[in-house]
Amino acid sequence: MGKRVLLADDDQLLASLLIFRLKKGGYDVHHSSNGKEVKEYLKTEMPDIIVSDIMMPYFSGIELIDFVRNELKSNTPIIIISSAGNEQNVLSAFELGANDFITKPVSPTELLVRVAREINKK
Amino acid sequence: MIPLRQINISLITAPEFNLEYLWWLSLSFIVLAVVYFIGIFFIRNRITSTTGRTKNKKIEFSPMISEFLFYEDSNSKEEKMNYLNLKIQIRELIKQSFDRTVLTEVLLDLRKDLSGQSQTVLIDLYKDLGLHNDAFEKLASRRWQIISGGILELTTMEVLESYSLIIKFINHRQGTVRKQAEIAVVNLREEGIGYFLDNTKYKISEWQQLKLLDVLRHKSNFEPPSFGLWLTSTNSHVVLFSLRLIKYYKQSDAEQSIITLLKHKKRDIQAEAIDCIKEFYFVSAIPTLKMVYGKASTDIKIAILDAIGEIGSKSDVEFLERLKKKERNFNIKSKVLGTLNKLDPESILPTKNISTSDYFLSEPDNNEEVNEVHESTDNEIAIETPEIISKNIIEIEEELVGDELNEPIIEEQIVNLNAEEHLEPTELEFNAVESKVDSTIDKETILNEQNPIADSISEIDLSFLPKVDNDIVEEEETISTDLETVVEEERVLTFDFLPLIISNPNIEEVITNDEDIDFVPLFSLDENLDIEHNAIENKTDSFQKNEIEEIDWSNVSNVQTNQDAEVVKEPLISFDNDTVTFSANFMAQGELETMVLLENVAEMGDCRELPMLQELLTKNTSPLILDRTNELIQKFSYQLPRPNELFSSNNDLADSVFTEVYNHSDKETKLMLLKEIKIVGDKKEIKLLETIINTESKSLAKAAKSVLKHINSKIALTNVEKHNTVENYNPLFEVDFELCLSEASKRIMKSNENGSTLFDQLCSISNTLYNKING
Repeated sequence: MGKRVLLADDDQLLASLLIFRLKKGGYDVHHSSNGKEVKEYLKTEMPDIIVSDIMMPYFSGIELIDFVRNELKSNTPIIIISSAGNEQNVLSAFELGANDFITKPVSPTELLVRVAREINKK
Repeated sequence: MIPLRQINISLITAPEFNLEYLWWLSLSFIVLAVVYFIGIFFIRNRITSTTGRTKNKKIEFSPMISEFLFYEDSNSKEEKMNYLNLKIQIRELIKQSFDRTVLTEVLLDLRKDLSGQSQTVLIDLYKDLGLHNDAFEKLASRRWQIISGGILELTTMEVLESYSLIIKFINHRQGTVRKQAEIAVVNLREEGIGYFLDNTKYKISEWQQLKLLDVLRHKSNFEPPSFGLWLTSTNSHVVLFSLRLIKYYKQSDAEQSIITLLKHKKRDIQAEAIDCIKEFYFVSAIPTLKMVYGKASTDIKIAILDAIGEIGSKSDVEFLERLKKKERNFNIKSKVLGTLNKLDPESILPTKNISTSDYFLSEPDNNEEVNEVHESTDNEIAIETPEIISKNIIEIEEELVGDELNEPIIEEQIVNLNAEEHLEPTELEFNAVESKVDSTIDKETILNEQNPIADSISEIDLSFLPKVDNDIVEEEETISTDLETVVEEERVLTFDFLPLIISNPNIEEVITNDEDIDFVPLFSLDENLDIEHNAIENKTDSFQKNEIEEIDWSNVSNVQTNQDAEVVKEPLISFDNDTVTFSANFMAQGELETMVLLENVAEMGDCRELPMLQELLTKNTSPLILDRTNELIQKFSYQLPRPNELFSSNNDLADSVFTEVYNHSDKETKLMLLKEIKIVGDKKEIKLLETIINTESKSLAKAAKSVLKHINSKIALTNVEKHNTVENYNPLFEVDFELCLSEASKRIMKSNENGSTLFDQLCSISNTLYNKING
């Protein structure tokens, strides 16, 4: 069984591509399309890595980091997907404890490499 | 005559209307409404179903696209077979136009979200599936929004073949299509920018320029053409955009063209050309810049000055100097001065609000002098209060014209000798007399000569002297310039008229604590001060400097010897040998305070002060106070309510002040109020207490009885005391000042016709003197 990846992204099309690529890369991917789902999932199970879009309904990527680090007290690696030109959010994410970030348009192969690197670090 | 009832002509006639038509009309409206709602329902359902179908199709296409995007040649045989099957499947699917549209949408969306190899594969897939043909068809549409959509699709999917089809939309009359075509042309091929600049006839908006620049910036391996070629364009927007591109790509090969554009009629182009000149340091443009300057607008002038500041040299200073004199516009003049300083640093120094050197030099000198004096007197000079000491000398001088005493002129001369008004508190530790001397003659001279006056004055407390407000800084300069003249005038002043009071002559401690000094402004100098100074100066020119020694200090000595006496009484004015001499008018402290109180009452009081005034009448014996009090009583008695009304039982004031509060209180509060009445109450409360006893509950009535008893005993005691002091009772209290005046009051009123202030009194004195001398 591969490492578990939680992919949190409300864009179904992009998510399906990334899931496909990650699965092809040997990961076990769980997808959540909004913040609420992410929260519920994290309460029951903690993945090996979290890949989250910064802009999500109900629960933003920033809040997710805060939730994982401060409420769940988990050191699970978190990779943030943000739009280009959203540097302020990225900085906030890093301040709260994000491990890495990747900007849109996303290269699925690049994401795969980053996920592998973070998991290896762990 | 026809009777009225037989006339059958109706004044208003309703038009005849067939009711059947009305029914038809209603029916048709109902049908229309039904059709409308059915239409809405149908369209809504169609949109919903289309959205649902699109969503389902996207979900269906998503794994297929993923398979295509991430297909690798190294995949297993099974995967390859799967890939081929999907390809066949997708080709079947896109035969339907709806599926094709959805697939195109999906690919366009993914194009925005993906980068790298996946993006390239995606574009290839789009072309491979022949979806670009649909976009070509869109270009042939009559509707501008479809054309625009088609151009956007082809641009996004980088269909280079579409370039030749899109360029014809460069000058489309519809702005959206035109702008889309401009971006497509620039985006699709490298030579697109040249074609666009050559052919566009329309305005290129600022936003569009930014977008085009963004497209160029993101083009990989883009080699920009020489944009100087388009500086000759007849489209001024092309010229402007070219100048910006020149600046962005740092193409300095169009120097002469850019310089020529300085003379362009459009300000935007002029400004952009100036920017380019500054950017590329075109020194040869300076003469043109100077030439253009004359007829340029303000912002262009500022831009030119900025450019000259950047690329100019000292040889341009002359031009700027000329502008400095000529320019009236504040912004331009400021820029000229800034440019001058840039080319020739420190050539222009600040001038606005800069004080002269004398201003800074004078103060340290004074400080030094004061320090020297301070040291030399060896702390002998002391003051009683650490306040700003300045002198306000009132000299009443009678001037004689020739040998005759025909017109005695009494002048009031207020001389402010506040030479040290801007000094620090430590420098103000000199007493009033020394400050006066300090202003009059050179302090050092006095000290060096060991003037005996200094010794005598050191022990005198002159804190009683009027204090002058020195907080008007602006007046300082004026006053200080007049100081010398005042100093000369000072030498002839006699001090014998000063009302000297020595309260504590033994204090010799020099107060050095600056923080303790409280600079309370007492009054401000008025503008007439300078005039008064000049008048005094004219009168005292004839006196020599050393006449300070002629000052009569005998009074001062006398005061010293009589310091135990609290009050020294001297005649105010004496007439000896045709000379009027003024002496101090001493008054007991308590008496003085009472007079001050009376003056305040006179200014701000009203009929409510009458009880207090009557009390003063009983307590004081001084005729001055009694007169003034009577005068005030008389004054206030004419106000409403009259005293007899004021103290009548019908008046509200006669009622207990507790009544209202009592009526609005609860039981506990009422008990507290009764306690208070017991302490402070008098006969006014009797009525209230009686009411309480008669109407209230037992407990309250009991308490009220107790209080009433207490008050009655208090009143009885007071009556006994009054009886005992009846001999001291002042009959003035009984005066019916409302109806007739006593002789004394009449006299006082008459004597006070000229007013009651100090100034009025002085004027009154002068009139009296005048009348007396003239018989």
